[in-house]
Amino acid sequence: MMQIPVVKKQLNGYVGFSNLPNQVHRKSIKKGFFFNLMVVGESGLGKSTLVNTLFNTSIYPAKVEVEPTVDTPKTVDIQAISADIEESGVKLKLTVIDTPGFGDFVNNEDSWRPILAAIESRFDSYLEQENRVNRKRIVDNRVHACLYFIAPTGHSLKPLDIEFMRRLHQRVNLIPVIAKSDTLTDEEIKLFKQRILDDIAANKIEIYKPQIYEGDDAETIDETKKILERIPFAIVGSTQEYEVNGKKVRGRKYPWGVIEVDNEDHCDFVKLRQMLIRTHMEELKEHTNQVLYEQYRTQKILSGGGPVIDGNPDPFAKLDEEKRAHEAKMAKMEQEMKLVFQQKVAEKEAKLKQSEEELYAKHREMKEQLERQRVELEARRKAIAEGRPTSPEQKKKKSGLFK
Amino acid sequence: MAPVALTPATNGVKSEIGVALLPNQRHDIVYRKGTNYNILVVGESGSGKTTFINTLFSTLMKDYENEMERFEKQYGHTVDITIMRADIEEKGFHCRLTIIDTPGFGDYVNNSDCWVPIVDYVDDQHAAYLEQEQQPKRDNIDDMRVHVCLYFVQPTGHNLSALDIRVMKELSTRVNVIPVIAKADTLTRAEVTAFKDRIRDALYTHGISVYTPPNDADDEEDQARNRELMTALPFAIIGSDKEVVRKDGTRVKGRQFLWGVAEVENENHCDFVKLRNLLMRRHMDDLVRQTEEMHYETFRSAKMASEGKNDDDPVTRWKMKEDEENMRRRFTELVRQEENRFKSWEQKLLSERDRLNKDLEESHMQVKKLSDEVRAVEEGRQRY
Repeated sequence: MMQIPVVKKQLNGYVGFSNLPNQVHRKSIKKGFFFNLMVVGESGLGKSTLVNTLFNTSIYPAKVEVEPTVDTPKTVDIQAISADIEESGVKLKLTVIDTPGFGDFVNNEDSWRPILAAIESRFDSYLEQENRVNRKRIVDNRVHACLYFIAPTGHSLKPLDIEFMRRLHQRVNLIPVIAKSDTLTDEEIKLFKQRILDDIAANKIEIYKPQIYEGDDAETIDETKKILERIPFAIVGSTQEYEVNGKKVRGRKYPWGVIEVDNEDHCDFVKLRQMLIRTHMEELKEHTNQVLYEQYRTQKILSGGGPVIDGNPDPFAKLDEEKRAHEAKMAKMEQEMKLVFQQKVAEKEAKLKQSEEELYAKHREMKEQLERQRVELEARRKAIAEGRPTSPEQKKKKSGLFK
Repeated sequence: MAPVALTPATNGVKSEIGVALLPNQRHDIVYRKGTNYNILVVGESGSGKTTFINTLFSTLMKDYENEMERFEKQYGHTVDITIMRADIEEKGFHCRLTIIDTPGFGDYVNNSDCWVPIVDYVDDQHAAYLEQEQQPKRDNIDDMRVHVCLYFVQPTGHNLSALDIRVMKELSTRVNVIPVIAKADTLTRAEVTAFKDRIRDALYTHGISVYTPPNDADDEEDQARNRELMTALPFAIIGSDKEVVRKDGTRVKGRQFLWGVAEVENENHCDFVKLRNLLMRRHMDDLVRQTEEMHYETFRSAKMASEGKNDDDPVTRWKMKEDEENMRRRFTELVRQEENRFKSWEQKLLSERDRLNKDLEESHMQVKKLSDEVRAVEEGRQRY
């Protein structure tokens, strides 16, 4: 297509198109929001508590301690739970995708595999929907962010952590968090964070980092920088409230004091929430859609993972295949049913024919017998009439064909 | 609604969790990205399309045509499509604007089929987008889909012409059509009102659905404003990018007549402000949405269906199940038919048996009679 040059034009008055973002703003409130958050981490690291603390709801009911059994599960499970959250008239449908079992086995070598599979299958589902003829009801199940819980060992990342992040960073916005950071002192956290960042850099893992944009004002840039400084966020989760200096605060009470969740000096919870909900939730979705999903789609198509026609993906090949399978199945079914049917019909037909033949045969036989009797009797009558002696009567008893 | 200031984070919204801030995030993303806006203007030459566009954007967006060339076109046969693209900025928000003009439309003695290139252009943009959308890489899609079509009706004061109706009918199924009465300064207010009524009637009679803004059921103020917009349809406009001096000495955009100034931005004089509100301040996003979600999707599914594509949606799956059901039903019917045949066969055998039995009975009776006779005779003889 011919390229038309784009000229820069200076406007001499207010036109009004700059109101478009406000129209979007308005519309977005009407439509509501949704977000799919994945949480990954060994059990006992406070995943559920953190989600409850973040959204100030009890998305996760208090867990019942599971009795230790001999029959422990051997696989990582994927579970999704949704909640509607509303604040000042803005609705958010939050779906939390949990991965119970991750890292809980003796051998955790492949723990990342089912999680990656879950993320990719969600991309596949979106891709399939996007290729439909009718796209009125597209459901977006894609994982928009993954909170990865690092155990507060104070050492550095475990091989499992590195393996997981290395495998998933191209497919999901990774947000590593140091769980239960109240077990570490300030100094320990500082060192731990540095070692984590070193490990991440050494393994060329890309974690999600908020971007500073060209047009951002000073305040935004400052806020973003403050978030960046705190990565990876060291967090404490709690929905329990305690009174500190006459004020109710969420936190955890120790004999030596209360660690406050919402106190930026105590932990990075506030900054995590700031990024995840208050300033970058839509950015995370945007990045998932425009970068991660697009990358996946491109790779899938170019690698032949998706069928290609004339260099273009053929979104219908899968459907065609399914249709062919369906048709084959139907044909086979019809064939089988026909066979059974024909066989049954033939059997019945033969039986009836046999009965019919038997009926006539028996009739014929008896008729003939009676005829013989008649002929014999006639002969006797004739003989009597002629005065000849008769042989003794051989009368037969009548018998029906059927009882 | 007052424009939301572009500040980060809280922006004055009280929020414990942060969910209430999501609309602001969306705002900022859209603001940063800017937008494409593609406007198609259709109307006979001299109806003031260029003036209107220049007035709307208050800049010399389009150069005016050379008066002399207009006559030469009488001998041409085709409607040209001329495209002008501009990058405009307002309050830091960028808009890649495309104005598509159709010089030559309706200018010939025989105008039959003159809309074909216009309709084709709209379809071609959808097709081009569809092709780009299906590529493995698509981070640089050039979205040229037409978001709105302004159709300029001549201020005859009578009614829509046959050409108007034909063209709007074709266009309204493909693009958001907004009819406007060009050069409304040639009509008195009463004439405008009557003309509008007749046009609305004609649109209704011919089943032409022009663009209607969405109604927010919860917002009465919004509804009232939309009603006001819709009653003004088709928008009677006066275009002028020149400033003239009013009697009171103030300068306004308008047209100076001996008897006064026809002011572009005076709502008592014409509907320019209403139309601008619809196109820009209030429903620009909706025009874009409608284009993407309705007109483009309609084009796309029709195109795919014409290529024999079918959906792998629950309907199809349900159909597959139905196929199976149907086959089972067909067989059940066959079995029933055969069973009936066998039943009547059996019935026939039973009655046949009865008949044969009766026949035997008769023969037997004859034999018995005969035998009795014979016995009687023999016994009689023995008595002698």
